Amino acid sequence: MAENRITMDDVAAEAIDDGDVELLSRLAGVWAAADPMPADFVERLQFGITLDALQAEVAELQREDGLIGARGAGTDVQTITFTSSQLTTMITVSSIGSGRVRVDGWAAPGAGLRVELRVQGGSLETVADQDGRFVFEDVPGGFGQFVLRAGDDATPVITPSIDL
Amino acid sequence: MTMTEPAESTLASRAAALFDEYRAGDQARLADLVALLAPILWHTVRAQNVDRGTAEDVLQTTWLSLIRHAGGIHDPRAVLQWLIVSARREAWRVSKVERRVDPRDFEADDIVAPLTDLPDVAAVRNASDSQLWEHVSRLSERCRELLRVIAFADRPDYAAVATALGMPVGSIGPTRGRCLAKLRMQLAADSRWES
Repeated sequence: MAENRITMDDVAAEAIDDGDVELLSRLAGVWAAADPMPADFVERLQFGITLDALQAEVAELQREDGLIGARGAGTDVQTITFTSSQLTTMITVSSIGSGRVRVDGWAAPGAGLRVELRVQGGSLETVADQDGRFVFEDVPGGFGQFVLRAGDDATPVITPSIDL
Repeated sequence: MTMTEPAESTLASRAAALFDEYRAGDQARLADLVALLAPILWHTVRAQNVDRGTAEDVLQTTWLSLIRHAGGIHDPRAVLQWLIVSARREAWRVSKVERRVDPRDFEADDIVAPLTDLPDVAAVRNASDSQLWEHVSRLSERCRELLRVIAFADRPDYAAVATALGMPVGSIGPTRGRCLAKLRMQLAADSRWES
């Protein structure tokens, strides 16, 4: 109190002024440049929410092979596990060239599971065999999202969209 | 300047309007909401020390979760806060599963960022931005998270966004708060800085 020294508490207690807003706006520019959103980020999010998720259970996604969260990390195969309260599904996506992929899947419990693979501009369907295995042999690359139905009465399980 | 312009159009109020229209049955407004909030949510999740690919997955899950819980959000004005809280929680859950450690450190308010946290020099556009960045890097991790997310919001939303980030009341907005005050004082003490 003896001096007129301005303390941090004084500065903190002042109302936010235009200088602060200007500073923050410059920081937003620096952060956006330092860590930009991926080019197809908004499109991927929008693709993933077009499905009616209201009556569905959303599976948790986990990537395997140490490629956690990696997309296009210079590998031709990616393995992803989806977990929900009803079932666990593991899929392997392999490149077959020309921007197309093969998807091998295994679900437990999965016998007779109806598997839909939504892709941009359409959707593919198959049924898992007695062991819970299923395959989509030729799928266009891009975004993909699975819808899994154990039966007419069961709640469908949907997955977050992934990059195929 | 038009008479019909709302008194206060902020990120949160624009988000609320889109969310309202979506809940009223206009499905396409959800895609608009996703686009509107993509930057602030991206930086919310990336500030949690999750890698870029994981951040994308986290935000997928967050939006699907919003669709499923849309009916339970009573006040549409809370949708931005709801999304920030959910995105942060999901980022925390995923990094715990993947790394078996809690990446957050909310206690150490004065820990200085390691230099490796700084972006490439190329990303910093000019000398003045680079000075600014240098000063931000001297703030605590918690302060950097706050300013990083706040930077993508509008002034009237600062307090609500800070609350969603788990910061105590008064962290920012309507007063400056300690994080911003610290940055302002550092800059004021830097003779190279012209504001």
